[in-house]
Amino acid sequence: MPTQVPPLARAAPPSDVALDSLHTHIDALERRPGVRTIAVAVHDTETGASFRRHADRWLHAASTIKVAILLGVYAAIHRGWLLPHSRVHVRNRFASAVDGHPFRVAADRDADSEVHRSIGKMMRVADLAVHMITTSSNLATNLLLDLVGLETVQRSLDELYIDGIDVRRGVEDERAFEAGINNRVSADGLVQLLRLIAEERAFTPELSREMLGILHRQEFRSGIPALLPSAVRVANKTGDISTVAHDAGVVYAPNRKPYVVAILTEWAPEASGRSATIADISHAIYELLTSQHGGKHG
Amino acid sequence: MGEAYRFPLRVVDGLRLERSLRDVLLPGRVVYDDAGHPHTLPRYFYEVPSWEHAMNIQLSPNFALWELIQTDVREAAPLRGFPRFVPCAVTMLALCLERFRDAVGTFVHVAANGGYRSPRHAVNTGTTTHSWGTAVNIYRIGDVQLDDREAIDRYSAMARQTLPGVWTRPFGPNRGQTDDQLHLDFGYVVSVPHGAPADSLGFDAERRAS
Repeated sequence: MPTQVPPLARAAPPSDVALDSLHTHIDALERRPGVRTIAVAVHDTETGASFRRHADRWLHAASTIKVAILLGVYAAIHRGWLLPHSRVHVRNRFASAVDGHPFRVAADRDADSEVHRSIGKMMRVADLAVHMITTSSNLATNLLLDLVGLETVQRSLDELYIDGIDVRRGVEDERAFEAGINNRVSADGLVQLLRLIAEERAFTPELSREMLGILHRQEFRSGIPALLPSAVRVANKTGDISTVAHDAGVVYAPNRKPYVVAILTEWAPEASGRSATIADISHAIYELLTSQHGGKHG
Repeated sequence: MGEAYRFPLRVVDGLRLERSLRDVLLPGRVVYDDAGHPHTLPRYFYEVPSWEHAMNIQLSPNFALWELIQTDVREAAPLRGFPRFVPCAVTMLALCLERFRDAVGTFVHVAANGGYRSPRHAVNTGTTTHSWGTAVNIYRIGDVQLDDREAIDRYSAMARQTLPGVWTRPFGPNRGQTDDQLHLDFGYVVSVPHGAPADSLGFDAERRAS
């Protein structure tokens, strides 16, 4: 007879004392020079526990908006408008959300040079999606957004009942930035979206797994994953501009179900220590959810 | 290319193609440009059986067919696969490009979507000679990326000197201008090669097919 493996014992949710302790810890971080806001949302699929701090506050999305655009691309794939191997002309010319005036993504401001090297040629949708997420390619992002359209992205969010993500333009659109037209997210919004992907409820389990696979290939690891044990896997997306630094991801610790976390921070332009602060909070959350005593913060 | 050489692509009458293809190729259809002038789209096409054929058919010493038919996901769905159909004037486009390449003395890189595009290609903003197979977008010449006024103006001038009657888009950000590629345009030229199945199909048949 086959041997049945007993299910792992479901961990207990963190105590109120432990949650208060995390709040206190983050309060202390927020009082440091240069820090303006720290917003956090956590959902633990193991215990059902959640943690929210300024979680519904809108902040400039920076590159975290690329997770929503990824969703829009997979919505187009789900509807049959695109295939992962559909080819796209790599052209560095986009229309501003303000007035349609053309703009370009400056190669020296883009973390990914591979897409820039393909200008004039074609790349596959799936490859552009990987570049958009794993190295945060702005050119890949605008190409994909141009292809599927703002409306598709926002409608996909709406149809999946995700609020807290407002997609209004591509990236590097300076005219839109000056006009105050910006992509915005809340910590709650990003957690809703990542939770949907992690729980394989974004369109189909297969498409959810494909999106999650791309997020797992993230190369920017100085935020949420930085202080976590090496056995912990993280599928995440960062976002940085002069005044914000964010990271949002799904954290897979051994022998438990994952938790979903978004840590959004706003800073004075000259401030330093952004990634370290996110890593500190991430570690505190990890301790809270995985230690038997609900973590220690001092 | 001795006496025995035959051009390896079959000429087809677009009006005899199946409906889904006619709907996107619009063979022989009259369309109007921005100024309201009528132009008749090509009716005769070379049938390209596969990408392998496109890769292997040299239209001129330095330009293969594939370079002039590579379109992205914005092309009309029936034309994303094979067989694909390209207006017969594309052979003359290749000869003009060859002459231009001789003049610039280095590699000439044609952009994706920068050769033949069907009238239903989603990047078209109106009537475009790309749908005649007589326009080409060049994004790089040698090591020079054509994405500023200096490069575009310089190579536009060379094209006009080299290719009598060619039209080039002026540099600029607006419609009808270009700021990230060189657009060479030979106008609304239609080619009907010898052997095209034209005479056997009269007006009545044309009406039936439309």
